[in-house]
Amino acid sequence: MGVKSEEGAKITSSASSAGGILFSMRSLKLKTKQQELLIRVSVLCLVYLLAFSVRLFSVLRYESMIHEFDPYFNYRTTLFLTENGFYEFWNWFDYESWYPLGRIVGGTLYPGLMVTAAFIYWTLRFFRFAAHIREVCVLTAPFFAANTTIVAYFFGKEIWDSGAGLVAAALIAICPGYISRSVAGSYDNEGVAIFALLFTFFLFVKAVNTGSLAWSLASAFGYFYMVSAWGGYVFIINLIPLYVLVLLVTGRYSMRLYVAYNCMYILGMLLAMQIRFVGFQHVQSGEHMAAMGVFFLMQMFYFLGWVKHLLNDAKLFQAFLKISVTLAVGVGALALGVGTASGYISPWTGRFYSLLDPTYAKDHIPIIASVSEHQPTAWSSFMFDFHILLLLFPAGLYFCFKRLTDATIFIVMYGLTSMYFAGVMVRLILVAAPAMCLVGAIAISATVKNLASLVRTKSKSQQTSSGKGTGHAKASLKAALGQSLPFQKNVAMALLFGAFYLLSRYVIHCTWVTSEAYSSPSIVLAARGANGGRVIFDDYREAYFWLRQNTPPDAKVMSWWDYGYQITAMGNRTVIVDNNTWNNTHIATVGRAMSSYEDEAYEIMQSLDVDYVLVVFGGVTGYSSDDINKFLWMVRIGGGVFPVIREPDYLVNGEYRVDKGAAPKMLNCLMYKLCYYRFGEMTTEYGKPPGYDRARGVEIGNKDVKLEHLEEAYTTSNWIVRIYKVKPPSNRR
Amino acid sequence: MRSKSDYSSGGAAAAGVATSPASDLGSIDPVLLVLKVLPFSFLRPPRTRLRLPSLILPSPMTHTGPCHRRRPASRLPSRRVNGQYIIEGLSSGFMFVLGGIGIIVMDLALDRNRPKSVRVSFASFGIAAVVISYVMSTLFIRIKIPSYLY
Repeated sequence: MGVKSEEGAKITSSASSAGGILFSMRSLKLKTKQQELLIRVSVLCLVYLLAFSVRLFSVLRYESMIHEFDPYFNYRTTLFLTENGFYEFWNWFDYESWYPLGRIVGGTLYPGLMVTAAFIYWTLRFFRFAAHIREVCVLTAPFFAANTTIVAYFFGKEIWDSGAGLVAAALIAICPGYISRSVAGSYDNEGVAIFALLFTFFLFVKAVNTGSLAWSLASAFGYFYMVSAWGGYVFIINLIPLYVLVLLVTGRYSMRLYVAYNCMYILGMLLAMQIRFVGFQHVQSGEHMAAMGVFFLMQMFYFLGWVKHLLNDAKLFQAFLKISVTLAVGVGALALGVGTASGYISPWTGRFYSLLDPTYAKDHIPIIASVSEHQPTAWSSFMFDFHILLLLFPAGLYFCFKRLTDATIFIVMYGLTSMYFAGVMVRLILVAAPAMCLVGAIAISATVKNLASLVRTKSKSQQTSSGKGTGHAKASLKAALGQSLPFQKNVAMALLFGAFYLLSRYVIHCTWVTSEAYSSPSIVLAARGANGGRVIFDDYREAYFWLRQNTPPDAKVMSWWDYGYQITAMGNRTVIVDNNTWNNTHIATVGRAMSSYEDEAYEIMQSLDVDYVLVVFGGVTGYSSDDINKFLWMVRIGGGVFPVIREPDYLVNGEYRVDKGAAPKMLNCLMYKLCYYRFGEMTTEYGKPPGYDRARGVEIGNKDVKLEHLEEAYTTSNWIVRIYKVKPPSNRR
Repeated sequence: MRSKSDYSSGGAAAAGVATSPASDLGSIDPVLLVLKVLPFSFLRPPRTRLRLPSLILPSPMTHTGPCHRRRPASRLPSRRVNGQYIIEGLSSGFMFVLGGIGIIVMDLALDRNRPKSVRVSFASFGIAAVVISYVMSTLFIRIKIPSYLY
């Protein structure tokens, strides 16, 4: 018994050591198809794990916390949802923000993200995993990014073949354009929305390819999930009709297209109306009218096809065609005109109109123009977010045009439209990322396939040239045409290595960019000290927890709208304005208060019942995204509503300065005083005078700041956040 | 492509290249006169936020000058730079397109129905285009962001 097991052990050990996987596969007698399946499944599993783990840098470096500003609102609403249930959440009126107006939260948000996270949380709780909702929220985005890679695989398989699908999955797993908004901790709508976007597109293309009602139904539900998740669903509801229109124009009308689009549009529209924030926009808003127009156009096509089938007479049908087309176009234009003129169909909203005319926001809507994410994209952003995909995109388009099917037409259109919008607004690089990955994957897959087949061909050029009989000229011409290139195999091998090198550079680039640029939580700042060690500035959370623990529960805090969500979520105090920016006048009131002299600002603060004022100041640390750098936007927004605030008052010769040569209104406004209170005695840098502002690089002009109506309540350890208490009126002190 | 100076607070950018159609400087260019009347009397050209490059471009090596100022704990991790000069954008865009065309041309070289010499030249052009484009793009990004990949 013992001898036999010893022998068996020897055989198995020799088997495992002799050849590894291939030997054991041969011994298991796997056919090629099964080998291929094994490779595909293992690649997909690895890509899934890769997509999840590459987004975990900030969790490992700092801790598992929510990043940025908007995710704090999402976290707060998810917390409310898990504590109070869906009905309370759907009908929630939040009196703790936008004091004294309040905010109808249930009707002004996209619930997809919160419901998804709550669903995952309840599932984990059902299986008795005691996870905290914060951990679930932090890891939702990487989880959905990993799911996106699987969807990208199936989409690539649908468009081209499974090889392209695998490459697409691998590319999108680490594409920095996608990682930037789906890193762990970035609990924002886009993390879930890009998954929903790609899923909807995949289901629709599948429906068009198969013509099956089931897939069309699935795509309608995918669209519903997208509508519930993000305001960018407008992209879907405009791209799909555009795609259908292109198919109709290029003569690819078919019953499959008819079934797919009708089912998706009608059901998707009805489902989308269940979201209160969207409401009846699908029939009332100008941005959704393209879908309706194409819907009626499809009916016209079907009707004309049916009439043609009935008539069997070409001339009569031509006449009927002319009449019906003119009638249809006329009725459609009339309806559109009447709808727009009567105001029933609302015009394009500012957010989306500024995509068509990028200069619109600067003149008319300063709030939209002030967000740095809404600026046009510089080339370095493209390079950072896409790297070699930029080189592969035109090549991929070329390959798609070589093999035109309904599916490749879709990916070409998605790629081109999303690239245009990515050029207009930095934030929309995210929407272009899946298209770039898919088109790039097609280029890589086709190129590598060609090169590999070149490497594998046996040389038969000699046989073809000798096999020709009579006609020397003809034979030599044919030989010249049919011959392979010199050193074909070697060059192909070299090119394969070159492709491998480029892809490995892509991986290195993506990992570096993720680690250095996109994994910062923004609420915790880090810098390199003089000795190379890392210095962490946790001032924001320090200030918010001070607020939470040292102020009365009904205190109202006034700050610039950037910090509103964080103050309500972490400080648990009522704020005046927050990141939702739905009321421009309210924000302008706060802007006016910040840019007025202290007496006028005190009157405004009293009218708003403000108890505490919070400002962010980067002069001690050199932090450049502080309120003094944002101050001109406060002036512009305030001046947009209250003409007493004039921007030239704060500038000197058109320049924005805070030193001795600054404008007197600037040196005495509330924001200046609050930021630089007691700063004049502070020495920030060796060899510089006291009061040297490291973020602006100048010595401040007004060092002797006296506050009459406010008193300093708290300044964080690195002076980044400063909180002031508003004193009661002088006859009540 | 009309380029206008930005309405920045500084005012004058360096050399003005094209004047706006609304300015009455009495240009003698006939095409400009026609354009002033025909589309641009009722169309308003958009205000592009393009900045003309200054005449003295900083040499690439001035960042890492010999005088290292002592800056302890000051440089917080900088996000990507969001501005660009016109020439910068055009040249890097050209590099991207060149790379794409290189791959397309390489694929055209595989077409067996063309004469051999054409295929060889296509293949060599394609390979050269891709190599040049990738090298130049990497060089550009290293110039723009000195701490790239370090």
